[in-house]
Amino acid sequence: MEGPDVPVAPMLDMAFQLLTFFVLTYRAAPVEGQFVMNLLPPQPATAMAAAPADAAASNELPATLRTLPVVLRADDAGRLVQVNVADVDVSNDPAALQEELDRHLQDPDSPFDQTLIKVDPNLRYAELMTVIDAFTNAFIKAKKEPKLSFDELRGDEGG
Amino acid sequence: MSGGVISKEKAEPNLTPLLDIVFQLITFFMLVINFASDNYDQRINLPDAGSARPVEDDSRIAEDRLVLNVDSEGRLLQGDEAQGIDQAVQTIRHQADLVKLGLKASGVKFDPAAAGLPTTIILRADKETTFGSVLGIIKACQAQGFRKFALKAMIRS
Repeated sequence: MEGPDVPVAPMLDMAFQLLTFFVLTYRAAPVEGQFVMNLLPPQPATAMAAAPADAAASNELPATLRTLPVVLRADDAGRLVQVNVADVDVSNDPAALQEELDRHLQDPDSPFDQTLIKVDPNLRYAELMTVIDAFTNAFIKAKKEPKLSFDELRGDEGG
Repeated sequence: MSGGVISKEKAEPNLTPLLDIVFQLITFFMLVINFASDNYDQRINLPDAGSARPVEDDSRIAEDRLVLNVDSEGRLLQGDEAQGIDQAVQTIRHQADLVKLGLKASGVKFDPAAAGLPTTIILRADKETTFGSVLGIIKACQAQGFRKFALKAMIRS
């Protein structure tokens, strides 16, 4: 009545070897996030990015008045040395920048619902990301949809 | 005369449940292993950002996407090749032509002045690269009709 005696031990050995292979080669996928944005063409970027058609229809203020102008300057090493928000110099400390952005965006009388960031081309991408991070946080805290656009800061532009 | 009784029976533990468990573990590791890592170039060190949206939670990203890896020197990485800005512009143009051909084949009307291409550019730029290099790539994409961008960053814990 006994069934055939199939040796399971070799199969188990193989299974353990496979398991060891997968355990050793397993590498947790990095947790990547992203900032999604619509960036319009370079030529009319300052005007068009600041004035999406739907926003213009819903708000009577011209786009230039609703756009928070920001200038980021960098030194030769690409480090952020100057942050200028609405013609006011702000410390490049992230907390101070966050506070200043909160002040602009959370104020109910503030007309700003989007921003145009003029960036020194020499600025390191990591430094730019900290600023984008601060802006995104500020927009989210103010319960507004983050609307960011970029332009290249030219040497002759004041800040 | 005392004599021990030596049993000739072998111990035969039932290995089947153990095998079941091991196969389940193998299945788990096979499923969670990251096979789709081709787009995620390990040479790129992404910048950190706490408020970046997790990829899977962002429903605004269209299925159609084009991943561009930019290294610390500002070059576009295509496989093992690192392309300067001129070559990168040609690569992006070629990719845009493919997208436009695909749209044409599927009967979708494309108006570059109105909405732009539906493809989202996934930009994975190294944290040491300069904004000027990234902007060069972005402008090349915009010139070809791409409007939707997703800037990648590591989510800080």
